[in-house]
Amino acid sequence: MVQYNFKKITVVPSGKDFIDIILSRTQRQTPTVVHKGYAISRLRKFYMRKVKFTQQNFHEKLTAIIDEFPRLDDIHPFYGDLLHVLYNKDHYKLALGQINTARNIIGKIAKDYVKLLKYGDSLYRCKCLKVAALGRMCTVIKRIGPSLAYLEQIRQHMARLPSIDPNTRTILICGYPNVGKSSFINKITRADVDVQPYAFTTKSLFVGHTDYKYLRYQVIDTPGILDRPFEDRNIIEMCSITALAHIRAAVLFFLDISGSCGYSIAQQAALFHSIKALFMNKPLIIVCNKIDLQPLEGLSDDDIKLVMEMKAEASQTVIAQGDEPNDESVFLTMSALTDDGVIAVKNAACERLLNQRVEMKMKSKKINDCLNRFHVAIPKPRDTRERPPCIPQAVLEARAKANVEKEKRKLEKDLENENGGAGVYSANLRKHYILANDEWKEDIMPEILDGHNVYDFVDPDILQRLEELEGEEEGFQLEAEAEEKYFEIDGKELTPEELEALAEIRKKKSLLIQEHRMKKSTAESRPVLPRKFDKDRKFTSERMGRQLSALGLDPTAATNRARCRSVSRRGQKRERSLAREGEDGDAMDIDGEQSSKKLRTRSRSRSKSRSKSQPPGEVTPGEGFRNSSQKLKALKIAKKSVKIRNKTARRGEADRVIPNLKPKHLFSGKRSIGKTSRR
Amino acid sequence: MRLEKCWFCSSTIYPGHGIQFVRNDAKIFRFCRSKCHKNFKMKRNPRKVKWTKAYRRLHGKDMTQDSTFELERKRNRPERYDRNVAENTLKAIKKIDKIRVAREARHHSMRMKGKKAIEQQAAAKELEQSIHLVKAPAALQEDPSLTLPKIRVTVSRSQTEDAWKNNDNAGNPLTWWHRKLNSTLSYASLCN
Repeated sequence: MVQYNFKKITVVPSGKDFIDIILSRTQRQTPTVVHKGYAISRLRKFYMRKVKFTQQNFHEKLTAIIDEFPRLDDIHPFYGDLLHVLYNKDHYKLALGQINTARNIIGKIAKDYVKLLKYGDSLYRCKCLKVAALGRMCTVIKRIGPSLAYLEQIRQHMARLPSIDPNTRTILICGYPNVGKSSFINKITRADVDVQPYAFTTKSLFVGHTDYKYLRYQVIDTPGILDRPFEDRNIIEMCSITALAHIRAAVLFFLDISGSCGYSIAQQAALFHSIKALFMNKPLIIVCNKIDLQPLEGLSDDDIKLVMEMKAEASQTVIAQGDEPNDESVFLTMSALTDDGVIAVKNAACERLLNQRVEMKMKSKKINDCLNRFHVAIPKPRDTRERPPCIPQAVLEARAKANVEKEKRKLEKDLENENGGAGVYSANLRKHYILANDEWKEDIMPEILDGHNVYDFVDPDILQRLEELEGEEEGFQLEAEAEEKYFEIDGKELTPEELEALAEIRKKKSLLIQEHRMKKSTAESRPVLPRKFDKDRKFTSERMGRQLSALGLDPTAATNRARCRSVSRRGQKRERSLAREGEDGDAMDIDGEQSSKKLRTRSRSRSKSRSKSQPPGEVTPGEGFRNSSQKLKALKIAKKSVKIRNKTARRGEADRVIPNLKPKHLFSGKRSIGKTSRR
Repeated sequence: MRLEKCWFCSSTIYPGHGIQFVRNDAKIFRFCRSKCHKNFKMKRNPRKVKWTKAYRRLHGKDMTQDSTFELERKRNRPERYDRNVAENTLKAIKKIDKIRVAREARHHSMRMKGKKAIEQQAAAKELEQSIHLVKAPAALQEDPSLTLPKIRVTVSRSQTEDAWKNNDNAGNPLTWWHRKLNSTLSYASLCN
């Protein structure tokens, strides 16, 4: 509602801002692209749209301003007067009137120029018309700039006005400056009004809220009023006068009886009498403040007389209301500093106000609407017998006993406090355990034993079951022993020699398997050479002899034959030996070619004392050369091919070969210290 | 505090170890270590994974039904504390453990009962079939027992003759000057 919330008025922009806003909006929200090649109607429409758009926006915004600012005649007279006091009604109305005129002028401008645009014959002319229209509108706004600024200031000030509800229960505090009005309101409400030793600390109205009998009361603190003729009053005083005049509230007139405000009681009394007209029909209470500085009894007679006069006046208002002229509800003393009597004052004021309001309501017509809806039903008494509630004697006794016990019993809390307080003492929860034997209360039972949960085994008759189990177990054991006796001898055991043979067989089998696996893996890449080209000289006749004898055969015949037929012996005569008698001596072929001197002199026997180096041209059977001349030739060609390269020191095949371009050990890992820019 | 069983391998989970997984149907799976947890996540069936207790029980490798297992049962009703019962229980646990271990050992030995016989049979068969790898058929004919053949070494006469020359009567090898002495003696005897 406008009445209460002046905070909702939209911001009034300054003249320049206003123009900027509207023009930029026009720029953004109307089409911007136009070429002179368009149809003339299209051009006209384009510019007319801009003009109308601008006019509409101005109209909207100005209307919003005019509507949102309150009309002083329409709002509660309190606010009307307040605003008048603060801002000058005429000035305010004038400003708003100017806005209104501006709005109308802009409307007219737009209308005129739209009419002209209808007959624009070229892009340029239309454009000029539009520019002129917009320009004139903006000038209008520029002219009302000061009004806009003034309204903006008013709006800001209005937003900060206290939200006073003129119709609700209100208590008004008035009096000379510095009598203690703000201190009082600070005491009874949560308002935090400035309290300072100089006059006119409070410059405007302040609102606080307080509660009494489940109802909310507004408490309004006013600036101090001086005793002056009405016309001479300044704005601040006029605020409080306005409040006094228009708000139907309980009035607390504050008196400073100590005189520390700088004004004597006489002056304050004079003020009272001058404004007592404003206290018409309002519950009035005279409050004497600062009694800690000057008690009421210590006042001079004149002062007391003045005070009594005021009291009399106040009482009269009470009588006028029709209530009893209670002394206490008219005249009270208090001290805001020492909190002495503050609550009493508040209660008195609230009470008086409440009564007055209730009475007013009762007198008004509206009350009938409410009364028609209430009906309090009271049961009719049957007879005059008294029937009090009946409590059996036992219950009463029990109650009495319980009370006594409660006082005597020692609580856990007391125990806790005795033994060091909350963080130190931990209650013994086992105290109240119900066990067969009270000694067991502090027992600790293990939960886990040898990898088992003890709770899984707990059983009252576990012993009995254990005995059964043990009995079973013995039975099983006997059975097992009996069976074992039957089961002893098989009779098919192997003798140690047979075991030896078996071990040997297995060894040989595993050897075969290993060899096969090796051969298998290299089968594709290994050249297969016949056994006669045996470079490592593994396959000798001695070896054969050993293997044969291991198999249990006599190797002599076989070795002899092998030796006779071996290549190294070709061309040699049969050896005469005693042991050879009776053996089959094969006729040997004497191959003249093979009996070269070299073959003869070259020892084929594998004696460790002799070296294995050979002259360069000598060809061993497994190499792939036909004869030694071929081999020599091959060697020569090989040497020739590398001669030039070596002589010129060029890089060859074997130089700088990096077999493993990224060895893991060089490229991985962190360093404890140092950089890893190179590895 | 309770010792739980791992869902996968059935070993005990001590406090502070392992992971518990609660499925959307509120079934709780406890695992003793990440190995079991990862196997579970791979959706492996513990009954098919050789090293788990579930497999071993299913395939009869470990004891399944026994009265010792019935003594250890999760009881859901709490019992009132009784010191004697607690004492007996603790003693009983140890004895039951011993009995259970003995029974498991017996089960194992029963399982392994026929092994020796089978092994012996297999060894005999292998020996018979593969004796040719270490013994030539000729040697087998001469000596039909299934043992390693005796190695024959022919010694030449000169060797036997030289034997007394190179070794003294006791059979100890002679030093070089002993031998020289012997040869000069023999030479001398020949000359004379």
